[in-house]
Amino acid sequence: MNATVKEVFIILSSSILIGIVANAVSPKGIALIRDDSNRYAIDTANVKKGSDLNKRGKLNKAGFYEPVNISVETAKQLFEKNVKFVDGRDANEYKEGHIKGAANIPYKEFKEKTIEDKLGIMKDMDKDKMIVSYCSSDSCEMSIDNAYEMAKAGYNDVKIYLGGYKEWTRLGYPTEK
Amino acid sequence: MSFLSNKYLLIALRIIVGGVFIYASLGKLMDQEEFSKAIFNYKFLPDIFINIFAIVIPYLELISGILLVLGIFTRGSSFTFLVLLIIFIIALIQAYARGLDISCGCFSLETVGQKSDILLRIIEDLLLLAATTIIFIKSNNLNSKETNYE
Repeated sequence: MNATVKEVFIILSSSILIGIVANAVSPKGIALIRDDSNRYAIDTANVKKGSDLNKRGKLNKAGFYEPVNISVETAKQLFEKNVKFVDGRDANEYKEGHIKGAANIPYKEFKEKTIEDKLGIMKDMDKDKMIVSYCSSDSCEMSIDNAYEMAKAGYNDVKIYLGGYKEWTRLGYPTEK
Repeated sequence: MSFLSNKYLLIALRIIVGGVFIYASLGKLMDQEEFSKAIFNYKFLPDIFINIFAIVIPYLELISGILLVLGIFTRGSSFTFLVLLIIFIIALIQAYARGLDISCGCFSLETVGQKSDILLRIIEDLLLLAATTIIFIKSNNLNSKETNYE
């Protein structure tokens, strides 16, 4: 048993060592402690019915307008005003059903693109008009990530509808395939 | 004779289990940010531990996997996998019980954000757990030098 403990210790310590060193030198390395404070600056629980939509997210230090979380009621109002919805899920999920009229910009592919390519993908959308980003549900983060990618690309008024496709269909709101 | 078959069974199991973990580690190593998100989605670990896990677990899998396939530190690597598998299974079961919409982040990260079949993942991990348990117990006999080949 002692030998096993020793082996596990060697495996574990070398994994920690290699992991931390490799992560430190890798260009794709991540922070040792995950920081979501920036992304969750707006508490979804506080998004009130019919929140003030004329107010945009604040312009942050990085030079883009921060996306703002909206409730399902707000999302529905915007939907009725023909605001553009963007579905961040993969193409096959989008094909199985999405919010009516939504464009599909799969986050996984979108985030790898250059700014020019991103703008090319979004060329039909006006930078100063509102865009609503969503994915499957509030435990899917792509709505947030996609919104930030779009905001960084220069879209000034991006909303995040966290409830996503799941909540939308549960409420029986318009969808299409 | 039965011992012989056991020996080959053991080698086969080592290669399979080690191979699965090596494969699983590569996808995670390619995109640790995504793996970190996958862990986050389980809502299982306190935030401060998530990235440490995302950094260390792929290497634990890779190193133990290579050792297990090569038959070096068989006890240590199989024990590491036992612990990892038990953690994974608990994480999957709690995610399933809470109805979380997760991608498991088990193998390739292609499915991040997609709903993957958690039950299937649990069954896969239980099978791996069974195989790893056999390796762990059997390799004890081999190491303890009491084994004779008669």
